[in-house]
Amino acid sequence: MTGRNFFLPQMNRAASATEQASPSARIRSNGTAGASDVLADRAAHLYNQVPFGLATTVVIGALATYELWDARFKELVLIWWCLVLLVTAASTGLYLAYRRAANIAVDAERWLRWLGIGALANGVNWGLAAAVFFRAHTHEEQVFLSLLLVGVTAGGIPVFAASWRIFAIFAASIVAPFTYVLTTLGSRLFTEIAFILPVFYAGSVAVAYRLNQVLISGYRLRRAYQTLTEDYTALNRTLEEQIEEFRHAQSVIEASGRKLALFAERAPIAVFELDRKGTILDMNPAAEHTFGYSSSELVGRNLVQTLIPQDEPALDKRWWADFAARKHPEAGIRARCLRRDGLEIVCEYSLTPLVNEFNDLTSVIAQSRDITQQQEAERLKKEFTSTLSHELRTPLTSIIGSLQLINSGMFGNLDREVAELTGVAERNAQRLLDLINDILDIERIESGGFSLQPEEIALDELIRESLVLNRAFAERFGVRIALRTEPPRVFVHVDRKRLLQVMTNLISNAAKFSPEGGQVELSASCADTRVVVSVEDRGPGIPEEFRGRIFSRFAQADSALTRKKGGTGLGLAICKRLIEMMGGEISFADRDGGGTSFSFALPARAEPAAAPL
Amino acid sequence: MPSQPLSRVCYVEDDEDIQRIVRLSLERIGKLTVEIVGDPNLAIERMIAFKPDLVMLDWMMPGLDGPALFRKMRDVPATSALPVVFITAKASDRELAELMALGAAGAISKPFAPKDLPDQLRAIWNALP
Repeated sequence: MTGRNFFLPQMNRAASATEQASPSARIRSNGTAGASDVLADRAAHLYNQVPFGLATTVVIGALATYELWDARFKELVLIWWCLVLLVTAASTGLYLAYRRAANIAVDAERWLRWLGIGALANGVNWGLAAAVFFRAHTHEEQVFLSLLLVGVTAGGIPVFAASWRIFAIFAASIVAPFTYVLTTLGSRLFTEIAFILPVFYAGSVAVAYRLNQVLISGYRLRRAYQTLTEDYTALNRTLEEQIEEFRHAQSVIEASGRKLALFAERAPIAVFELDRKGTILDMNPAAEHTFGYSSSELVGRNLVQTLIPQDEPALDKRWWADFAARKHPEAGIRARCLRRDGLEIVCEYSLTPLVNEFNDLTSVIAQSRDITQQQEAERLKKEFTSTLSHELRTPLTSIIGSLQLINSGMFGNLDREVAELTGVAERNAQRLLDLINDILDIERIESGGFSLQPEEIALDELIRESLVLNRAFAERFGVRIALRTEPPRVFVHVDRKRLLQVMTNLISNAAKFSPEGGQVELSASCADTRVVVSVEDRGPGIPEEFRGRIFSRFAQADSALTRKKGGTGLGLAICKRLIEMMGGEISFADRDGGGTSFSFALPARAEPAAAPL
Repeated sequence: MPSQPLSRVCYVEDDEDIQRIVRLSLERIGKLTVEIVGDPNLAIERMIAFKPDLVMLDWMMPGLDGPALFRKMRDVPATSALPVVFITAKASDRELAELMALGAAGAISKPFAPKDLPDQLRAIWNALP
């Protein structure tokens, strides 16, 4: 990852530089930037010549000293030789300092200046030799000296090739005194030579200048080539890194592709890949199995036209056109389908549209599950529930009815023991009926075959109604029901009958668990867009181990109490589901000073919502 | 609210036990004149003869169930205007709502409380236009 982080910005820089600057501009900018580099290259070239130049100077200087040695000026020759050695020593020092210097490139100009001074000193030495020794010596020696001086001057051209200016200074310091001496000697030949010398000087400087230009362009080329090579290497490196990244990404994609293919291949449900018109592009073995077609028979054909009967409204051509326009995933679409053998099955479809970066629909993944048997099972269960409901209620109607009529006293007063027993029979028949009702309720709620009939109602009125309805029941336990505070006027959108069922359940629970002579308190309070209704008792509270499953089916803390006071253990489970279906939630808490508080919260409004027309 | 109080009730119900309980409830507690019909196929004929103020129909009966009988009554001029109350152990809220929309006067769910039944019927009767 570090590599990539490092590599991306670099990559961008290289790319933007290439995009922004034209090739010529780029070379020009490199030329400017490389000027100091070229200067450093020239300095290095010059300093590389120093050992050779100094060695030559010492050798020729020694030769000259030997040849010019004469008793008349031996002090002068000695002094001159000493000067040659001194300049050589100083130049050697300069050379060594340059070799040791750390930052040559930055100080190239300074190093060149010092070298110029060294060259000048050297040239002055030779000029001095011409000025002092030429006049006093024999013709042979004068020829020797002339050759020496011209040779040294000419030898300076290659040595100082990297800087024609230094050569010009060096040569001038030799040629100028020599020319002067020649003009003062009075000989016609010498005078002629004196005239030729400046021409020779000018020619040498011109050659040095040309050579210098060639060298500079050579160094520039070398620098440019270096830069190009570096750029190329860097580009190569980024390319390699990029290729490596691509290769990695490719292997990741391939791996996940293989995984996906395997998922589809091994999935027990039918999976199709469709194009935007619904034409089947690919399908898995489960799809072949479900519909009885082989893949080669279905690929290329339209799913809706081939597998769905024309009169099926759930998944027709128009639906597909809408879906392709919406491009939203769809699930739980039940549609009849035709198998290859003509058998009609019912399938549940999930459709997932795949879009590209322009939000164009590229393909659709359709998953389909044969739910024919499941639907049949659902139908049978519903029928069974319905029959059970009728068959159980009809005899119970007779039992409860008969007992109620007997217990109503319409046949005269019963013997005390008989009355007790018919009372037991009526209560237990009622309990059985409650149980059946609750079981049917929860079964219908959980199977989804249950719908609410919501309407806009004033909650405070419903709370008062629940109080009145349950008063008689509570009185059987010697318990009063009271409003703790006047409930606020708010409106809720709920199924009235079902919310009353919830209230009745909570109130009757609270009454059952209240001590005799106790009070069940109802209250309601608004918080933001919700109203919280509480039913509170002063009962024994809810045992710790029971709290986790209080809203589960058949949850009862104390079965002895159930036998004594009734209850199916389904009430709170039903309440929870009903409240949740109405968009609320239910909870319970310990009450300060003992007892329990059950509360449910529902979305509420201060004004009734406008009734839909 | 009808001008005279409820006095004659016809109940179509196949279960003999329930017939007995309803008769006791309506006659002894409700002080009403009651005609019980066990066979729904004979119901319309008996209604025409009995001239009830109100008809109670059991929902689920062999041969001809309550809702079907109700629709049949609507086609017979002599019974088409009779208020009908369904007694049911089965109907879903939706099915009941449909029947109320068709003109049923009310519905009482099974099991009912015999001592309250006359009051329930009178409440429905008094709520009629």
